Amino acid sequence: MRQFLLFFRKEMMEMRRSFKWLWVPLVFLMLGIIQPVVTRFMPQILESSGNLPKGMTITIEPPSGSEVMAQTLGQYNSVGLMILVLSIMTLISGERQSGVSQMIFAKPVSYVSYAAAKWASMLSLVTASFVLGYAGAWYYTMQMIGNVETGAAVKAGLLYLLWLWFTGSLTLLMSSLLNPAAGIAFVSIGAAILLSMASGWLPRFTAYSPGSLPQISVRWLQASDAPAGAFGAAILCLMCMIFFFMIAAYQVKIRKSNV
Amino acid sequence: MDTMNSSIPWNLIMPLIVLQLILAVVGLLSLYKAEATRGPKWLWVIIILCGNIPGSVVYFVFGRKDAS
Repeated sequence: MRQFLLFFRKEMMEMRRSFKWLWVPLVFLMLGIIQPVVTRFMPQILESSGNLPKGMTITIEPPSGSEVMAQTLGQYNSVGLMILVLSIMTLISGERQSGVSQMIFAKPVSYVSYAAAKWASMLSLVTASFVLGYAGAWYYTMQMIGNVETGAAVKAGLLYLLWLWFTGSLTLLMSSLLNPAAGIAFVSIGAAILLSMASGWLPRFTAYSPGSLPQISVRWLQASDAPAGAFGAAILCLMCMIFFFMIAAYQVKIRKSNV
Repeated sequence: MDTMNSSIPWNLIMPLIVLQLILAVVGLLSLYKAEATRGPKWLWVIIILCGNIPGSVVYFVFGRKDAS
């Protein structure tokens, strides 16, 4: 436990030093705010872009608050996911390549607490960023669009956070397996996109897949009823995260350095 | 144009501009303090200033050489 806290403090310090604690939450907050603002001013934006023939009018039905929140989650699922993966991809592989982990493991320290500290710091960064961004999106939607149903928004947000945790865990697993940063990012983003697309194509086979979590949370916001399979997907997602963690801890143990 | 200006709630748009400024300033500060970057520094200044959100993100992810 003492080792874990030590490693955890080191991870947090490193994330502060590389400005991750600043720019990741900031970008997530801006992503969250932009969607309601753009939706609110869509008529004016179309008007001033000026490509419309004279006399043509477009009537856009103003979307509901929950609808805009669902669109915000869609934003997070493309841009947000990419930023999350890019910001944490070298968390494990970077130290292996620079030789830092070799120095750390010259002493008898626990591999599990080393990996657990990586996980804990990643989860806290993801959670803080997403909660900040989601709260910003919520506030702006309430101000500019309309009411958001509280219960559905909270549940959808929690489920979506779980999906971000899953993607983060997947990235850390890849970071423990692969060396090139581009490869880690490519495999993690690709796998996350494939998983979430597969749940759209084959809903029957992927009923409890973690990839269905973003869809479930969007549906929860739009229809505000509990979609089937939410609980199962959440449980399976947590189990996958524990599984990824165990593989990564083992990888840290057997591959201390790059040679 | 006038009608558009009056309908914009600046008190809600302002935070977005301020956040963007903070992001750019932090990026530039980190660039100033960095001993070495991937690629020339003046290029990163242009990218951060003109690239809005993606520009700063690209700098933080690819431009920084972590102390090693």
